[in-house]
Amino acid sequence: MFGKYKPLWGNKTRLKSSYDAVIIGGGLHGLATAYFLAKEHGMKNVAVIEKNFIGFGGAGRNTAIVRANQRTQINVPLYKEALDLWPVLTRDLDFNLMFNNCGNLNLMHSEAAMNAARMNIATAQFHGVESHLLDAKQVKEMVPALNISPDITYPIHGAMFHPPGGIVRHDAVVWGLAKGAVKLGAEIHQQTEATAINTENGRITGVETSRGKIHSPRVLVSAGGYSAGIINKMLGIKLPISVLTIQAMVTQPLKPILNHVVSSGAYHAYANQTLKGEIATGAHMDPWPNYTTLTTAYYIKHQAQALSEFLPCLRGVKFMRHWGGLADMTPDMAPIMDGNDPIDGFYMNCGWGYFGFKSCSAAGRHLAAFMATGNCPDILEPFNLRRYEKHQLMGETAALVSYTPDN
Amino acid sequence: MSLTLTCPICGKRNGYEFRYGGEDKGPRPAEDGLTPRSWCDYVHMNKCVAGVQKEWWFHRDGCGSWFTTYRNTVTNLEVEAPEAKE
Repeated sequence: MFGKYKPLWGNKTRLKSSYDAVIIGGGLHGLATAYFLAKEHGMKNVAVIEKNFIGFGGAGRNTAIVRANQRTQINVPLYKEALDLWPVLTRDLDFNLMFNNCGNLNLMHSEAAMNAARMNIATAQFHGVESHLLDAKQVKEMVPALNISPDITYPIHGAMFHPPGGIVRHDAVVWGLAKGAVKLGAEIHQQTEATAINTENGRITGVETSRGKIHSPRVLVSAGGYSAGIINKMLGIKLPISVLTIQAMVTQPLKPILNHVVSSGAYHAYANQTLKGEIATGAHMDPWPNYTTLTTAYYIKHQAQALSEFLPCLRGVKFMRHWGGLADMTPDMAPIMDGNDPIDGFYMNCGWGYFGFKSCSAAGRHLAAFMATGNCPDILEPFNLRRYEKHQLMGETAALVSYTPDN
Repeated sequence: MSLTLTCPICGKRNGYEFRYGGEDKGPRPAEDGLTPRSWCDYVHMNKCVAGVQKEWWFHRDGCGSWFTTYRNTVTNLEVEAPEAKE
């Protein structure tokens, strides 16, 4: 259209009647899985079907923060791998993902929280993930705009500093993965809604869509917050998930004041300054399940109060935009990645809550291996659905404040 | 989006007065012959309906009663109980 402009992920093509694998959901996890299926397993006859447009859901609504300072031994290696993949993907996809390796600062507001941080740091260091404990004075030296006086609601006692984390441009990841997957042969079908998943004798046989029927021996549901509803509606499988709307907002652009991602469990807020100068902030969820993806005055007010307490220079700054996305919360705050149980050829990737963005590359890569070989990679094994009935919950809750309707 | 709920004792109130109590899953399973799987089903498993569902609520900042109601999870609006089937 203009000069050398070419669509990044090809033109709309006819939907074929058969694929080796169908992925429901054109978000980060679905696109990453398609990309790695083609790249690492040579499975190129793959269709990603997306009801709206790629990046419509959680992929475009998250706050773009990446980190690998999760709480449990099981989760950290997965997130570390995802973090290490950003520079690799930037090169392999030949697409600038704008990885801003600025580091994450988790504020601690009590001695108990400092102790929890010590444990968290020990876990991170055990897995070779850089993480340190800072006292209040060091925190102030690192972010002079922070208020470390004892006169605020939750005085800052110190922080957990995690240098390898930061921000990645989430839309760029969607576009880059889509470009990479299509270049290797996968097809992306937008405006294509899955209406049914077909099975026969306990095996997947295909998917029915708004544009026709597709035969396939493998189907992955990787539709973010919509996964649990789709899986229940189409296959009658209930999941330990509650779907909540999570909210975020950005202020007007400001001069540089914040060089790190700053987060606080006690204030229930996180903030970082985007490359455009806006302060991106969020953390809040509606305390009851809903699919509205709308924001509420209640939380915009809360966010303004919290931010202007620990970052008082933001008083009077205006919020420019706000938005909501869906978070599919599990009781142990860890995702569900499973396959071939109870239906052969059926794979699911859901329950990421608000951790779905930072992990998409590693999760997609291992799911691709799972789908290509039929064998669950060791790293994904603990994330199976049956862990809930075996009482093998992960206790990832401590990574952030617990926020599900179950507590 | 804001939510209002109708408490059977206090009437229609702001949703933030209430605590969500989960999807209505019918009666608690009997202790006899209870398996980890059926208990897990009852405790953790949800249908995650995008549409009207029957659910439990607790009037935390009011009279303290538990009650069930129907709500459309897509619009976040309380709705009339659907006509009994069968």
